[in-house]
Amino acid sequence: MRPVYTIWLRELRAFFGAFSCGVTLAAFLAAYGWTFGMLLRGNEGSVLQIQSLWGVAVTPWLPVLSAILTTRLFAEERATGMIEMLMSSPVREREVVAGKFLSAFTVVALALLISLVVPLWVLPRMSLHVQGDVSGLAFSATLLILLLQAALWCAAGTLVSLFFSNQVAAAACSLLLCCGLPAAMYFAVMAWVPALRAEVAWMPLLVHVYDFSTGLFSVAVMMLYLASAVFFLFACSKSLACLRLRS
Amino acid sequence: MLEVERITFSYGRRRVVDDVSFDIAPGEIVALTGPNGAGKTTLIKILACLLMQDDGCVRLDEVNPLSRPVKYRRWIGYLSERCPLYEEMKVDEYLTHRVRLKGERSLRVRRRVSEALEMCGLTEVASTGIRLLSQGYRKRVGLAEAIVLHPRLLLLDDLLAGIDAGQRKKTAAFLSAASARSAVLVSGHELHELLPWCTRFLVMSQGRIVASLRSNEHNREELLELVESHVAEVNAGGEEP
Repeated sequence: MRPVYTIWLRELRAFFGAFSCGVTLAAFLAAYGWTFGMLLRGNEGSVLQIQSLWGVAVTPWLPVLSAILTTRLFAEERATGMIEMLMSSPVREREVVAGKFLSAFTVVALALLISLVVPLWVLPRMSLHVQGDVSGLAFSATLLILLLQAALWCAAGTLVSLFFSNQVAAAACSLLLCCGLPAAMYFAVMAWVPALRAEVAWMPLLVHVYDFSTGLFSVAVMMLYLASAVFFLFACSKSLACLRLRS
Repeated sequence: MLEVERITFSYGRRRVVDDVSFDIAPGEIVALTGPNGAGKTTLIKILACLLMQDDGCVRLDEVNPLSRPVKYRRWIGYLSERCPLYEEMKVDEYLTHRVRLKGERSLRVRRRVSEALEMCGLTEVASTGIRLLSQGYRKRVGLAEAIVLHPRLLLLDDLLAGIDAGQRKKTAAFLSAASARSAVLVSGHELHELLPWCTRFLVMSQGRIVASLRSNEHNREELLELVESHVAEVNAGGEEP
Protein backbone atom coordinates (compact mmCIF):
# COMPACT_ATOMS: atom_id res chain seq x y z
CA MET A 1 0.00 0.00 0.00
CA ARG A 2 2.91 2.35 0.62
CA PRO A 3 3.84 2.92 -3.03
CA VAL A 4 0.16 3.64 -3.74
CA TYR A 5 0.12 6.23 -0.97
CA THR A 6 3.40 7.78 -2.13
CA ILE A 7 2.18 8.11 -5.73
CA TRP A 8 -1.24 9.35 -4.59
CA LEU A 9 0.37 12.04 -2.45
CA ARG A 10 2.69 13.23 -5.21
CA GLU A 11 -0.11 13.36 -7.75
CA LEU A 12 -2.35 15.28 -5.38
CA ARG A 13 0.39 17.85 -4.83
CA ALA A 14 0.85 18.13 -8.58
CA PHE A 15 -2.90 18.62 -9.03
CA PHE A 16 -3.15 21.36 -6.46
CA GLY A 17 0.08 23.00 -7.64
CA ALA A 18 -1.17 23.24 -11.20
CA PHE A 19 -3.01 26.34 -12.35
CA SER A 20 -4.95 24.27 -14.90
CA CYS A 21 -6.44 22.13 -12.12
CA GLY A 22 -7.83 25.21 -10.36
CA VAL A 23 -9.29 26.51 -13.63
CA THR A 24 -10.86 23.11 -14.36
CA LEU A 25 -12.42 22.90 -10.90
CA ALA A 26 -13.72 26.47 -11.16
CA ALA A 27 -15.19 25.78 -14.62
CA PHE A 28 -16.84 22.61 -13.33
CA LEU A 29 -18.40 24.41 -10.37
CA ALA A 30 -19.59 27.27 -12.60
CA ALA A 31 -21.13 24.87 -15.13
CA TYR A 32 -22.78 22.84 -12.38
CA GLY A 33 -24.05 26.01 -10.67
CA TRP A 34 -25.60 27.24 -13.90
CA THR A 35 -27.29 23.86 -14.55
CA PHE A 36 -28.50 23.64 -10.96
CA GLY A 37 -29.94 27.15 -11.15
CA MET A 38 -31.71 26.37 -14.41
CA LEU A 39 -33.14 23.16 -12.95
CA LEU A 40 -34.33 24.96 -9.81
CA ARG A 41 -36.05 27.62 -11.89
CA GLY A 42 -37.55 25.08 -14.27
CA ASN A 43 -38.88 22.87 -11.49
CA GLU A 44 -40.32 25.49 -9.19
CA GLY A 45 -43.36 24.05 -7.46
CA SER A 46 -42.70 20.52 -8.70
CA VAL A 47 -42.40 17.47 -6.48
CA LEU A 48 -38.72 16.87 -7.39
CA GLN A 49 -36.52 16.72 -4.31
CA ILE A 50 -33.51 18.98 -3.98
CA GLN A 51 -31.00 16.09 -3.90
CA SER A 52 -32.41 14.79 -7.19
CA LEU A 53 -31.92 18.21 -8.79
CA TRP A 54 -28.38 18.38 -7.44
CA GLY A 55 -27.56 14.90 -8.78
CA VAL A 56 -29.05 15.61 -12.17
CA ALA A 57 -27.19 18.95 -12.37
CA VAL A 58 -23.82 17.35 -11.57
CA THR A 59 -24.12 14.17 -13.68
CA PRO A 60 -23.47 15.63 -17.18
CA TRP A 61 -20.39 17.58 -16.01
CA LEU A 62 -18.79 14.72 -14.10
CA PRO A 63 -17.35 12.92 -17.16
CA VAL A 64 -15.97 16.23 -18.47
CA LEU A 65 -14.24 16.99 -15.18
CA SER A 66 -12.87 13.45 -14.85
CA ALA A 67 -11.62 13.38 -18.45
CA ILE A 68 -9.72 16.66 -18.08
CA LEU A 69 -8.25 15.83 -14.68
CA THR A 70 -7.05 12.36 -15.65
CA THR A 71 -5.45 13.60 -18.87
CA ARG A 72 -2.12 14.45 -17.32
CA LEU A 73 -1.75 11.32 -15.18
CA PHE A 74 0.30 9.26 -17.63
CA ALA A 75 0.49 11.60 -20.64
CA GLU A 76 2.66 14.04 -18.69
CA GLU A 77 4.90 11.24 -17.41
CA ARG A 78 5.38 9.98 -20.94
CA ALA A 79 6.10 13.44 -22.32
CA THR A 80 8.71 14.24 -19.65
CA GLY A 81 10.20 10.75 -19.56
CA MET A 82 9.32 10.25 -15.87
CA ILE A 83 7.50 7.08 -16.86
CA GLU A 84 10.98 5.52 -17.19
CA MET A 85 11.77 6.34 -13.59
CA LEU A 86 8.46 4.89 -12.45
CA MET A 87 8.92 1.72 -14.47
CA SER A 88 12.44 1.15 -13.14
CA SER A 89 11.25 1.58 -9.55
CA PRO A 90 10.40 -1.41 -7.37
CA VAL A 91 6.69 -0.79 -7.79
CA ARG A 92 4.08 -3.02 -9.39
CA GLU A 93 2.10 -1.70 -12.34
CA ARG A 94 -1.16 -2.03 -10.44
CA GLU A 95 0.24 0.11 -7.62
CA VAL A 96 1.20 2.87 -10.06
CA VAL A 97 -2.25 2.77 -11.67
CA ALA A 98 -4.03 2.69 -8.29
CA GLY A 99 -2.04 5.66 -6.95
CA LYS A 100 -2.72 7.77 -10.01
CA PHE A 101 -6.37 6.80 -10.28
CA LEU A 102 -7.01 7.51 -6.60
CA SER A 103 -5.45 10.96 -6.85
CA ALA A 104 -7.77 11.99 -9.71
CA PHE A 105 -10.71 10.38 -7.94
CA THR A 106 -9.89 12.32 -4.76
CA VAL A 107 -9.97 15.62 -6.65
CA VAL A 108 -13.28 14.74 -8.33
CA ALA A 109 -14.73 13.68 -4.97
CA LEU A 110 -13.57 16.97 -3.49
CA ALA A 111 -15.28 18.87 -6.33
CA LEU A 112 -18.48 16.94 -5.59
CA LEU A 113 -18.27 17.84 -1.91
CA ILE A 114 -17.72 21.50 -2.77
CA SER A 115 -20.74 21.40 -5.08
CA LEU A 116 -22.81 20.27 -2.09
CA VAL A 117 -22.33 23.64 -0.42
CA VAL A 118 -25.05 25.23 -2.54
CA PRO A 119 -27.94 22.79 -1.87
CA LEU A 120 -26.94 22.02 1.73
CA TRP A 121 -25.83 25.39 3.02
CA VAL A 122 -26.66 28.28 0.68
CA LEU A 123 -30.12 27.21 -0.46
CA PRO A 124 -31.65 26.61 3.04
CA ARG A 125 -30.55 30.13 3.98
CA MET A 126 -32.13 31.62 0.89
CA SER A 127 -35.46 29.83 0.75
CA LEU A 128 -37.72 29.01 3.69
CA HIS A 129 -39.60 26.52 1.55
CA VAL A 130 -36.52 24.39 0.95
CA GLN A 131 -35.32 24.55 4.57
CA GLY A 132 -37.49 21.71 5.80
CA ASP A 133 -36.71 19.35 2.92
CA VAL A 134 -32.92 19.37 2.87
CA SER A 135 -31.08 16.81 4.94
CA GLY A 136 -27.54 15.52 4.67
CA LEU A 137 -28.72 11.93 4.84
CA ALA A 138 -30.89 12.31 1.75
CA PHE A 139 -27.86 13.50 -0.17
CA SER A 140 -25.68 10.53 0.87
CA ALA A 141 -27.30 8.11 -1.56
CA THR A 142 -27.01 10.61 -4.42
CA LEU A 143 -23.38 11.25 -3.50
CA LEU A 144 -22.75 7.48 -3.48
CA ILE A 145 -23.98 6.97 -7.05
CA LEU A 146 -22.13 10.07 -8.25
CA LEU A 147 -18.92 8.79 -6.66
CA LEU A 148 -19.40 5.46 -8.41
CA GLN A 149 -19.88 7.24 -11.71
CA ALA A 150 -16.81 9.39 -11.01
CA ALA A 151 -14.79 6.23 -10.35
CA LEU A 152 -15.82 4.88 -13.73
CA TRP A 153 -14.92 8.08 -15.61
CA CYS A 154 -11.62 8.47 -13.76
CA ALA A 155 -10.69 4.85 -14.53
CA ALA A 156 -11.54 5.32 -18.21
CA GLY A 157 -9.57 8.59 -18.33
CA THR A 158 -6.56 6.97 -16.64
CA LEU A 159 -6.51 4.26 -19.28
CA VAL A 160 -6.77 6.73 -22.16
CA SER A 161 -4.01 8.89 -20.66
CA LEU A 162 -1.62 5.95 -20.86
CA PHE A 163 -1.73 5.81 -24.65
CA PHE A 164 -0.70 9.41 -25.28
CA SER A 165 2.28 11.61 -24.60
CA ASN A 166 0.40 14.66 -25.82
CA GLN A 167 -2.00 15.90 -23.14
CA VAL A 168 -4.27 17.67 -25.63
CA ALA A 169 -4.72 14.50 -27.66
CA ALA A 170 -5.29 12.53 -24.45
CA ALA A 171 -7.90 15.05 -23.29
CA ALA A 172 -9.70 14.92 -26.64
CA CYS A 173 -9.80 11.15 -26.64
CA SER A 174 -10.81 11.02 -22.97
CA LEU A 175 -13.61 13.50 -23.58
CA LEU A 176 -14.77 11.47 -26.53
CA LEU A 177 -14.90 8.33 -24.42
CA CYS A 178 -16.23 9.85 -21.18
CA CYS A 179 -18.73 12.23 -22.75
CA GLY A 180 -19.53 10.65 -26.08
CA LEU A 181 -20.65 7.35 -24.65
CA PRO A 182 -23.06 8.67 -22.00
CA ALA A 183 -24.26 11.45 -24.33
CA ALA A 184 -25.08 8.91 -27.01
CA MET A 185 -26.91 6.81 -24.44
CA TYR A 186 -28.74 9.80 -23.05
CA PHE A 187 -29.94 11.06 -26.40
CA ALA A 188 -30.86 7.57 -27.52
CA VAL A 189 -32.97 7.07 -24.41
CA MET A 190 -34.46 10.55 -24.67
CA ALA A 191 -35.27 10.07 -28.32
CA TRP A 192 -37.14 6.99 -27.27
CA VAL A 193 -35.90 4.90 -30.13
CA PRO A 194 -37.18 1.47 -29.13
CA ALA A 195 -34.40 -0.47 -30.80
CA LEU A 196 -31.63 1.71 -29.34
CA ARG A 197 -33.26 2.08 -25.98
CA ALA A 198 -33.05 -1.66 -25.42
CA GLU A 199 -29.34 -1.53 -26.24
CA VAL A 200 -28.42 1.36 -23.96
CA ALA A 201 -30.82 0.76 -21.11
CA TRP A 202 -28.02 -0.91 -19.11
CA MET A 203 -26.52 2.42 -18.15
CA PRO A 204 -28.84 5.40 -18.20
CA LEU A 205 -26.80 7.73 -16.01
CA LEU A 206 -29.50 10.20 -15.09
CA VAL A 207 -32.03 7.47 -14.30
CA HIS A 208 -29.58 5.83 -11.90
CA VAL A 209 -28.86 9.14 -10.18
CA TYR A 210 -32.58 9.91 -9.91
CA ASP A 211 -33.37 6.43 -8.54
CA PHE A 212 -30.66 6.63 -5.88
CA SER A 213 -31.67 10.15 -4.91
CA THR A 214 -35.19 8.96 -4.21
CA GLY A 215 -34.04 6.00 -2.16
CA LEU A 216 -34.27 3.32 -4.85
CA PHE A 217 -30.97 1.57 -4.22
CA SER A 218 -29.79 -1.10 -6.58
CA VAL A 219 -26.85 -3.32 -5.74
CA ALA A 220 -26.74 -4.42 -9.38
CA VAL A 221 -26.22 -0.83 -10.54
CA MET A 222 -23.50 -0.28 -7.95
CA MET A 223 -21.75 -3.47 -9.00
CA LEU A 224 -22.03 -2.43 -12.64
CA TYR A 225 -20.19 0.83 -12.05
CA LEU A 226 -17.61 -0.80 -9.80
CA ALA A 227 -16.96 -3.64 -12.22
CA SER A 228 -16.62 -1.22 -15.14
CA ALA A 229 -14.12 0.91 -13.20
CA VAL A 230 -12.13 -2.17 -12.16
CA PHE A 231 -12.13 -3.36 -15.78
CA PHE A 232 -10.62 -0.07 -16.99
CA LEU A 233 -8.03 -0.09 -14.20
CA PHE A 234 -7.10 -3.69 -14.94
CA ALA A 235 -6.73 -2.84 -18.64
CA CYS A 236 -4.59 0.15 -17.67
CA SER A 237 -2.33 -1.96 -15.47
CA LYS A 238 -1.85 -4.56 -18.21
CA SER A 239 -1.22 -1.86 -20.84
CA LEU A 240 1.42 -0.31 -18.58
CA ALA A 241 3.13 -3.67 -18.29
CA CYS A 242 3.04 -3.97 -22.10
CA LEU A 243 5.04 -0.74 -22.40
CA ARG A 244 8.04 -2.81 -21.36
CA LEU A 245 7.67 -4.88 -24.50
CA ARG A 246 8.09 -1.88 -26.80
CA SER A 247 8.40 1.55 -25.22
CA MET B 1 27.10 -10.04 -9.60
CA LEU B 2 25.49 -9.08 -12.94
CA GLU B 3 25.32 -11.72 -15.63
CA VAL B 4 24.00 -10.93 -19.08
CA GLU B 5 23.59 -13.91 -21.39
CA ARG B 6 22.87 -13.70 -25.09
CA ILE B 7 20.50 -10.75 -24.92
CA THR B 8 18.68 -9.97 -28.14
CA PHE B 9 16.23 -7.16 -28.78
CA SER B 10 14.59 -5.84 -31.95
CA TYR B 11 12.41 -2.87 -32.84
CA GLY B 12 10.26 -4.45 -35.51
CA ARG B 13 12.65 -6.09 -37.94
CA ARG B 14 15.62 -3.99 -36.89
CA ARG B 15 17.81 -5.83 -34.43
CA VAL B 16 19.13 -3.28 -31.95
CA VAL B 17 20.83 -5.59 -29.45
CA ASP B 18 22.23 -8.75 -30.94
CA ASP B 19 23.41 -11.68 -28.86
CA VAL B 20 25.13 -9.61 -26.16
CA SER B 21 26.80 -11.40 -23.25
CA PHE B 22 28.97 -10.03 -20.47
CA ASP B 23 29.19 -9.94 -16.72
CA ILE B 24 30.18 -7.39 -14.12
CA ALA B 25 31.68 -8.26 -10.75
CA PRO B 26 31.47 -6.07 -7.65
CA GLY B 27 34.25 -3.52 -7.74
CA GLU B 28 34.11 -3.21 -11.48
CA ILE B 29 33.17 -0.03 -13.32
CA VAL B 30 32.40 -0.96 -16.88
CA ALA B 31 32.20 1.68 -19.60
CA LEU B 32 29.91 0.99 -22.51
CA THR B 33 30.96 2.98 -25.52
CA GLY B 34 30.44 3.07 -29.26
CA PRO B 35 28.94 5.26 -31.95
CA ASN B 36 25.41 6.66 -31.82
CA GLY B 37 22.81 4.00 -32.54
CA ALA B 38 25.10 1.17 -31.43
CA GLY B 39 22.51 -0.08 -28.94
CA LYS B 40 24.03 1.19 -25.69
CA THR B 41 20.89 2.92 -24.40
CA THR B 42 18.66 0.02 -25.43
CA LEU B 43 20.92 -2.42 -23.59
CA ILE B 44 20.84 -0.25 -20.46
CA LYS B 45 17.05 0.04 -20.75
CA ILE B 46 16.78 -3.75 -20.85
CA LEU B 47 18.91 -3.98 -17.72
CA ALA B 48 16.75 -1.31 -16.08
CA CYS B 49 13.57 -3.30 -16.84
CA LEU B 50 12.25 -0.63 -19.20
CA LEU B 51 12.33 -2.99 -22.15
CA MET B 52 11.92 -6.73 -22.22
CA GLN B 53 14.45 -8.65 -24.25
CA ASP B 54 13.28 -10.93 -27.07
CA ASP B 55 15.77 -13.57 -26.05
CA GLY B 56 18.48 -14.14 -23.47
CA CYS B 57 18.74 -13.80 -19.74
CA VAL B 58 19.77 -11.22 -17.14
CA ARG B 59 20.64 -12.13 -13.56
CA LEU B 60 21.67 -9.93 -10.69
CA ASP B 61 22.92 -12.02 -7.78
CA GLU B 62 20.92 -14.92 -9.24
CA VAL B 63 17.74 -12.86 -9.36
CA ASN B 64 16.07 -12.82 -12.77
CA PRO B 65 14.10 -9.61 -13.46
CA LEU B 66 11.48 -11.53 -15.40
CA SER B 67 10.62 -13.82 -12.51
CA ARG B 68 11.19 -11.42 -9.59
CA PRO B 69 10.87 -7.94 -11.06
CA VAL B 70 10.24 -5.95 -7.89
CA LYS B 71 13.19 -7.49 -6.04
CA TYR B 72 15.47 -6.93 -9.03
CA ARG B 73 14.37 -3.30 -9.43
CA ARG B 74 14.96 -2.69 -5.72
CA TRP B 75 18.61 -3.60 -6.33
CA ILE B 76 19.25 -1.28 -9.24
CA GLY B 77 19.91 2.44 -9.52
CA TYR B 78 19.21 3.95 -12.91
CA LEU B 79 20.17 7.29 -14.41
CA SER B 80 18.36 7.93 -17.65
CA GLU B 81 19.99 9.62 -20.64
CA ARG B 82 17.29 12.35 -20.54
CA CYS B 83 17.45 12.63 -16.76
CA PRO B 84 13.75 13.38 -16.24
CA LEU B 85 12.66 14.95 -12.95
CA TYR B 86 9.45 16.33 -11.47
CA GLU B 87 9.80 20.02 -12.28
CA GLU B 88 7.37 21.27 -9.64
CA MET B 89 9.26 19.68 -6.74
CA LYS B 90 12.24 20.87 -4.74
CA VAL B 91 15.41 18.76 -4.84
CA ASP B 92 15.02 17.26 -1.35
CA GLU B 93 11.29 16.69 -1.85
CA TYR B 94 11.98 14.83 -5.08
CA LEU B 95 14.63 12.61 -3.48
CA THR B 96 12.37 11.93 -0.50
CA HIS B 97 9.56 10.95 -2.86
CA ARG B 98 11.82 8.59 -4.81
CA VAL B 99 13.31 7.03 -1.67
CA ARG B 100 9.82 6.35 -0.31
CA LEU B 101 8.76 4.89 -3.64
CA LYS B 102 11.77 2.60 -3.57
CA GLY B 103 10.45 1.21 -0.29
CA GLU B 104 12.91 2.59 2.26
CA ARG B 105 11.70 2.59 5.87
CA SER B 106 10.31 5.92 7.02
CA LEU B 107 12.88 6.40 9.78
CA ARG B 108 15.79 6.11 7.36
CA VAL B 109 14.42 8.29 4.56
CA ARG B 110 15.76 11.60 5.81
CA ARG B 111 19.23 10.18 6.48
CA ARG B 112 19.40 8.55 3.05
CA VAL B 113 18.38 11.78 1.35
CA SER B 114 20.90 13.93 3.21
CA GLU B 115 23.66 11.38 2.47
CA ALA B 116 22.85 11.45 -1.24
CA LEU B 117 22.63 15.25 -1.27
CA GLU B 118 26.05 15.49 0.31
CA MET B 119 27.65 12.88 -1.93
CA CYS B 120 26.47 14.62 -5.08
CA GLY B 121 27.23 18.16 -3.90
CA LEU B 122 23.59 19.15 -3.75
CA THR B 123 23.29 20.28 -0.14
CA GLU B 124 23.28 23.97 -1.07
CA VAL B 125 20.44 23.52 -3.59
CA ALA B 126 18.42 21.05 -1.49
CA SER B 127 15.49 23.42 -1.11
CA THR B 128 15.69 24.85 -4.63
CA GLY B 129 12.96 24.11 -7.14
CA ILE B 130 14.05 21.59 -9.78
CA ARG B 131 12.79 23.82 -12.60
CA LEU B 132 15.41 26.40 -11.60
CA LEU B 133 18.37 24.02 -11.84
CA SER B 134 20.94 23.99 -14.61
CA GLN B 135 21.50 20.87 -16.72
CA GLY B 136 24.55 19.92 -14.68
CA TYR B 137 22.68 20.12 -11.37
CA ARG B 138 19.77 18.17 -12.84
CA LYS B 139 22.19 15.42 -13.76
CA ARG B 140 23.49 15.43 -10.21
CA VAL B 141 19.95 15.08 -8.86
CA GLY B 142 19.44 12.12 -11.21
CA LEU B 143 22.69 10.59 -9.98
CA ALA B 144 21.73 11.21 -6.35
CA GLU B 145 18.48 9.39 -6.99
CA ALA B 146 20.28 6.45 -8.59
CA ILE B 147 22.72 6.00 -5.71
CA VAL B 148 20.49 6.94 -2.80
CA LEU B 149 19.79 3.40 -1.62
CA HIS B 150 23.26 2.00 -2.40
CA PRO B 151 22.02 -0.33 -5.15
CA ARG B 152 23.84 -3.47 -6.18
CA LEU B 153 23.83 -2.42 -9.83
CA LEU B 154 24.24 1.15 -11.02
CA LEU B 155 23.15 1.83 -14.59
CA LEU B 156 24.28 5.28 -15.69
CA ASP B 157 23.33 6.25 -19.20
CA ASP B 158 25.40 9.09 -20.65
CA LEU B 159 26.52 10.05 -17.15
CA LEU B 160 29.05 12.73 -17.98
CA ALA B 161 27.01 14.73 -20.49
CA GLY B 162 26.25 18.17 -19.08
CA ILE B 163 28.46 17.82 -15.99
CA ASP B 164 31.33 20.28 -15.53
CA ALA B 165 34.97 19.22 -15.16
CA GLY B 166 35.07 19.67 -11.38
CA GLN B 167 31.96 17.62 -10.82
CA ARG B 168 33.21 14.95 -13.24
CA LYS B 169 36.23 14.40 -11.00
CA LYS B 170 34.01 14.22 -7.91
CA THR B 171 31.65 11.82 -9.69
CA ALA B 172 34.56 9.63 -10.70
CA ALA B 173 35.89 9.53 -7.15
CA PHE B 174 32.47 8.80 -5.78
CA LEU B 175 31.77 6.01 -8.26
CA SER B 176 35.14 4.42 -7.58
CA ALA B 177 34.18 4.29 -3.91
CA ALA B 178 30.64 3.08 -4.67
CA SER B 179 31.92 0.27 -6.89
CA ALA B 180 33.20 -1.57 -3.82
CA ARG B 181 29.63 -2.69 -3.13
CA SER B 182 28.02 -2.15 -6.54
CA ALA B 183 28.53 -3.21 -10.09
CA VAL B 184 28.61 -0.07 -12.23
CA LEU B 185 27.77 0.20 -15.91
CA VAL B 186 28.35 3.62 -17.46
CA SER B 187 27.66 4.56 -21.04
CA GLY B 188 29.23 7.54 -22.76
CA HIS B 189 31.51 8.88 -25.42
CA GLU B 190 33.98 10.78 -23.22
CA LEU B 191 36.83 8.25 -23.39
CA HIS B 192 39.44 10.59 -21.89
CA GLU B 193 37.22 11.17 -18.88
CA LEU B 194 36.21 7.55 -18.44
CA LEU B 195 39.68 6.12 -18.83
CA PRO B 196 41.14 6.89 -15.37
CA TRP B 197 38.37 5.24 -13.36
CA CYS B 198 36.71 2.57 -15.50
CA THR B 199 38.08 -0.93 -15.11
CA ARG B 200 36.78 -2.29 -18.40
CA PHE B 201 35.59 -0.94 -21.73
CA LEU B 202 32.94 -2.61 -23.84
CA VAL B 203 32.77 -1.26 -27.38
CA MET B 204 29.39 -1.73 -29.04
CA SER B 205 28.51 -1.54 -32.70
CA GLN B 206 25.27 -2.43 -34.45
CA GLY B 207 23.94 -4.13 -31.34
CA ARG B 208 26.98 -6.29 -30.72
CA ILE B 209 29.91 -6.03 -28.35
CA VAL B 210 32.90 -5.89 -30.68
CA ALA B 211 35.61 -5.41 -28.08
CA SER B 212 36.14 -5.90 -24.37
CA LEU B 213 39.28 -4.25 -22.99
CA ARG B 214 40.45 -4.37 -19.38
CA SER B 215 42.33 -1.40 -17.97
CA ASN B 216 44.73 -3.61 -15.97
CA GLU B 217 45.93 -5.33 -19.14
CA HIS B 218 47.09 -2.14 -20.85
CA ASN B 219 48.54 1.20 -19.85
CA ARG B 220 46.34 4.26 -20.22
CA GLU B 221 47.69 5.51 -23.55
CA GLU B 222 47.58 2.04 -25.03
CA LEU B 223 44.05 1.49 -23.79
CA LEU B 224 42.84 4.84 -25.09
CA GLU B 225 44.42 4.10 -28.46
CA LEU B 226 42.83 0.65 -28.57
CA VAL B 227 39.35 1.86 -27.61
CA GLU B 228 39.57 4.79 -30.02
CA SER B 229 40.74 2.56 -32.83
CA HIS B 230 37.84 0.16 -32.20
CA VAL B 231 35.35 3.04 -32.17
CA ALA B 232 36.92 4.52 -35.33
CA GLU B 233 36.80 1.11 -37.02
CA VAL B 234 33.16 0.78 -36.08
CA ASN B 235 32.41 4.31 -37.35
CA ALA B 236 34.19 3.61 -40.63
CA GLY B 237 32.26 0.35 -40.99
CA GLY B 238 28.99 2.13 -40.25
CA GLU B 239 29.61 4.66 -43.01
CA GLU B 240 29.89 1.98 -45.63
CA PRO B 241 26.74 1.59 -47.73
